[in-house]
Amino acid sequence: MEWSLVLKDVCGMGLSFRVDGFRLLFAGITSYMWLMTSLFSKEYMAHARRKGRYYFFLALTYIATMGVFLSDDLFTTFVFFEMMSLASYVCVIHDEKPGTLRAGGVYLAVAVIGGLVSLMGLFLLYDQAGTLALGQLREACLPLLSGDAGERKRLFIAGFCILFGFGAKAGMFPLHIWLPMAHPVAPAPASALLSGIITKSGIFGMLALSADIFPHDGMWGFIICLFGVASMLLGGVLAIFSVDIKRSLACSSMSQLGMIICGIGMQGLLGDENALAVRGTVLHMVNHSNLKLALFMAAGVIVMNLHKLNLNEIRGYGRKKPLLKLCFLSGALGIAGIPLFNGYISKTLLHESIVEFLKLSHEGGWTLAFLSQNQAALLFRLIEWLFLLTGGMTVAYMTKLFICVFVEKNADPKVQEEYDSMGHYCTPLTAAVLAITAAVLPVLGMLPYATQDRLADMAQTFLHGLSPSHAVNYFSLVNLKGGFISIVLGGLIYLLIVRKLLMGRGEETEIYPNRWPEKLDLLTLIYEPLLLKIFPAVFGFCCRALDFAADGLILFFRRTTHRQLREPEELPADYVLPYYLGRGLNYASARFGCGKDGKRDYRQLLARRRSLSREAWRMFQASASFSLMMFGIGMIVSVIYLIVG
Amino acid sequence: MNPTVILIPILLPVLAGALMLLRPIENLRRRNVFVETVTLVNTAITLWILTHAPQGTLYLFSLGEKLPMTLRIDGMATFFGCIVSCLWPLASLYAFEYMRHEERVNTFMAFYTITYGVTLGVAFAGNIVTMYLFYEMLTMVTLPLVMHTMTPQAKKATRDYLYYMIGGTAFAFIGMVFYVIYSTDLEFVYGGAIDLSRVGQYTNVLYLIYVLSFFGFGVKAAVFPFHSWLPEASVAPTPVTALLHAVAVVKSGVFAIMRFTYYCIGPELLSGSWAQTVVLIFVMATIVHASTMGVREAHFKRRLAYSTVSNLSYVLLGVVMMSPPGLFAGLAHMLFHAIMKISGFFCVGAVMHQTGKNYVYELDGLGRRMPLTFTALLISGLSLSGLPLFAGFVSKWEIARSLFTNGSALASWGVIVLIYSALMTAIYMLTVIVRGFFPARDVDMGELKAYGDPSWQMILPLAVFSVVTVMFGVWATPILEKLWTVAQGLF
Repeated sequence: MEWSLVLKDVCGMGLSFRVDGFRLLFAGITSYMWLMTSLFSKEYMAHARRKGRYYFFLALTYIATMGVFLSDDLFTTFVFFEMMSLASYVCVIHDEKPGTLRAGGVYLAVAVIGGLVSLMGLFLLYDQAGTLALGQLREACLPLLSGDAGERKRLFIAGFCILFGFGAKAGMFPLHIWLPMAHPVAPAPASALLSGIITKSGIFGMLALSADIFPHDGMWGFIICLFGVASMLLGGVLAIFSVDIKRSLACSSMSQLGMIICGIGMQGLLGDENALAVRGTVLHMVNHSNLKLALFMAAGVIVMNLHKLNLNEIRGYGRKKPLLKLCFLSGALGIAGIPLFNGYISKTLLHESIVEFLKLSHEGGWTLAFLSQNQAALLFRLIEWLFLLTGGMTVAYMTKLFICVFVEKNADPKVQEEYDSMGHYCTPLTAAVLAITAAVLPVLGMLPYATQDRLADMAQTFLHGLSPSHAVNYFSLVNLKGGFISIVLGGLIYLLIVRKLLMGRGEETEIYPNRWPEKLDLLTLIYEPLLLKIFPAVFGFCCRALDFAADGLILFFRRTTHRQLREPEELPADYVLPYYLGRGLNYASARFGCGKDGKRDYRQLLARRRSLSREAWRMFQASASFSLMMFGIGMIVSVIYLIVG
Repeated sequence: MNPTVILIPILLPVLAGALMLLRPIENLRRRNVFVETVTLVNTAITLWILTHAPQGTLYLFSLGEKLPMTLRIDGMATFFGCIVSCLWPLASLYAFEYMRHEERVNTFMAFYTITYGVTLGVAFAGNIVTMYLFYEMLTMVTLPLVMHTMTPQAKKATRDYLYYMIGGTAFAFIGMVFYVIYSTDLEFVYGGAIDLSRVGQYTNVLYLIYVLSFFGFGVKAAVFPFHSWLPEASVAPTPVTALLHAVAVVKSGVFAIMRFTYYCIGPELLSGSWAQTVVLIFVMATIVHASTMGVREAHFKRRLAYSTVSNLSYVLLGVVMMSPPGLFAGLAHMLFHAIMKISGFFCVGAVMHQTGKNYVYELDGLGRRMPLTFTALLISGLSLSGLPLFAGFVSKWEIARSLFTNGSALASWGVIVLIYSALMTAIYMLTVIVRGFFPARDVDMGELKAYGDPSWQMILPLAVFSVVTVMFGVWATPILEKLWTVAQGLF
């Protein structure tokens, strides 16, 4: 089942679209998420101002996102990708508070810079491969990859440029900075979309890169894999430290996206045998979208009622609210990778793909040119454990959120009472939306063969993946082992780190203090000084210097060779002595060449001196006679006084 | 058709302007009607002539031996003539409203109208001597327009304008004399008509002459280091800045460079020479410099002037590729930039006219009060930054393509320059727009209540330009095909 549509010559290059398994799947998920969030928005945005603007840009973002997922060439992807970034910006900053605007600014800046760097990459790629159509890129790029080193290097440069833009959107380290900032401030439905599907459009670009431009390239896969590992670890750590429910979920997104990126890397590393990685990546994308939809909307219900995000303030809100509790629990269990929930399936596949690579590299079939077999084995053993550790961190931070909001009581008993009395916290429509989104998760998890495997079959052709040689038994002991290791690790992290280190004593009960050092932030530590201070200073200095050089040249000539002549003054008539003396000096200077230039007229000079001294003498005279007169008057006055007295 | 008709669109506005100078029309309404009628009639005549494209050359008179004055209409002339004649009536309409409360409007409108004729003269000139003459005249008739407000700043700007222009034409004169002496055919011929047998081994001299005249004509095109007159000249009333300093005057400079490069010296001769390297470096330096300064500039109109400087060099970046794709990209950007920049300037003018605010930091929250103006500014800004779906993207894409077709290492650097500049453009345009719609600090909206969108005479041009910008961004094929034939010298 495939349709394609080409709009020739639109936007210069022409746009092309295609509907096949993968695209259909994600177009479906996009539509599903938009439907759910729009229904949810009805109550969430009921009291917001400027609803018209919100819904307009929400619809525009929808169109753009569909455009990204249905695009058949990278140019079309890029066009809609940019459109999506700008349209979603307006949704993110909806409440227009200063903090929101700042976060929105960062989001916009990352999107614009990322978009432009991607565009640069597209230029390079188009120049080298001669096409941007996804159907033709693979044939065009394979000879370039196996060709000479120069071509290969250029293709890598193009690839990294494109990766920059898409990776930024996918929350890849070190471009993730917008993610933890934008999600908490955006309206909850927009957060769900941002995290659930807009980040996936970045992943879509990365998949296109890995599957069509660097198909089965070990080097590329290795680098992507490292980026993925860094993102998932950092995201997990940030989420554990976070004390803001939406920020925690945002950091969790970063961590899960890191896992997906790791999977993309494994596709390249595994080469022809990448069936597990392909399926794991696609399924984790699907699962993560569904999970974040449910979780952000559950968090949205809390925000909608309390307008608060801090864990200490919303603590205990979820007690005695069974529906909300169940929905959140379903999402939490799903994302933590607990068996029988959807996240477990895809995480298992991703984990197995790493194990597969270890096995292959042991057999000696798959070594990397730049790593010896032992090093590779060691490194990927480490990556496997880091992957499991990230799974553990997911368990830990989801437990933290769940226990805080739904199990523990608020530090202030009065507040807790108030929370408990809020029986009616959402409309039936919102409740239905919540229930549906949450119910999907265990269904996907319990019937993996009927649901998830089919989705994977549908999508894998896009990634040039093959079905695995033997069906994966998700609930076999080997596969369950990985899941259980994560759960045990998660339990340990929660008990030892979250409860012991990250909780402090408040006035009466334990509270959740923000233990993350304020200063430790890539944005304020590196990016902002670099982009706002150092770059402008350096470039500005260069520009000023160049400007001055241009003006200075003219100034230099004006002062030296092109100096203006003084207007010849009329010689004063009655200065006889200066006239002759000056003539003599003129003659002498012309004759003997003393003085800076021969053009100085000494007659003028002397006459001016003379008139100056005359003026001074006149003033002196005047002042002397005046004081003489005053002296005289004084004498007369004193004589009269003497006579009279 | 008799080629004599080419004279009409040049002479009509000049005569009408002269009449206004001799017999001032003091009644505002009558004057506006008179000016708009003349402009519209002239535009109609121009477009009629251009669509019927009279064949042959109109010989006017001769300044001396080998110095004939001729007019002719070819592809380039049609292209430039079309841009100018389509934009002028809209700009005049805008000027009526903008100049309503100014003094000496009669003189202003008179010179404004005369400029129309002279610009068309530059477009229709049939050889380099004629073009040079009209080019000089253009400088002279625009002087009173820059000086119009008569403030000390305006006077200083005018003085600098004059110095730069005269200096520039002196360089250009060298090129003209050289070409008159060493060409086989004085008329513009695509591919150039340099008599190589007479130049002989002195090709380096030829290159030097080219570089000199490039900078000579480049003064009007604001090539670094001769660019600083343009931001300074933004003290002039906005209709002048918008139409003359974003389209007519500066594009005449670019047009002259195109003529001199592709129709006099010849691109084949220059391609790969050191002359190309030199001008390419300066063009790239201009882009980097101007877009950086644009970010640093807080005066809104000057910021846009810097943006013009960098965009003119985009056009030149295409042109100095010395290839038909390069010329094609240059022409496309010349057209699209004209539309989007005039729109940008008109928005600034509308803000200045309605609120009297000049600086970027004063614009907080104004977007709420002037939604139409700021929407037009948004479209213009996004298009300038080269976002897809807007006209600016199409032409920038073509420029980048021509850079890659060239294939040299320096040309690849050009792409990086383009991207850098696009980023800077996004910064200096978007910061303004974001401020307008989403004020960064708390603004007393009550204070802004007094402001609102301007009257239809200002909004209509903005609306037309915005629609056209989006239209070309989505569907530009017919016009691009036409430009491609022009760039290959087929039309």
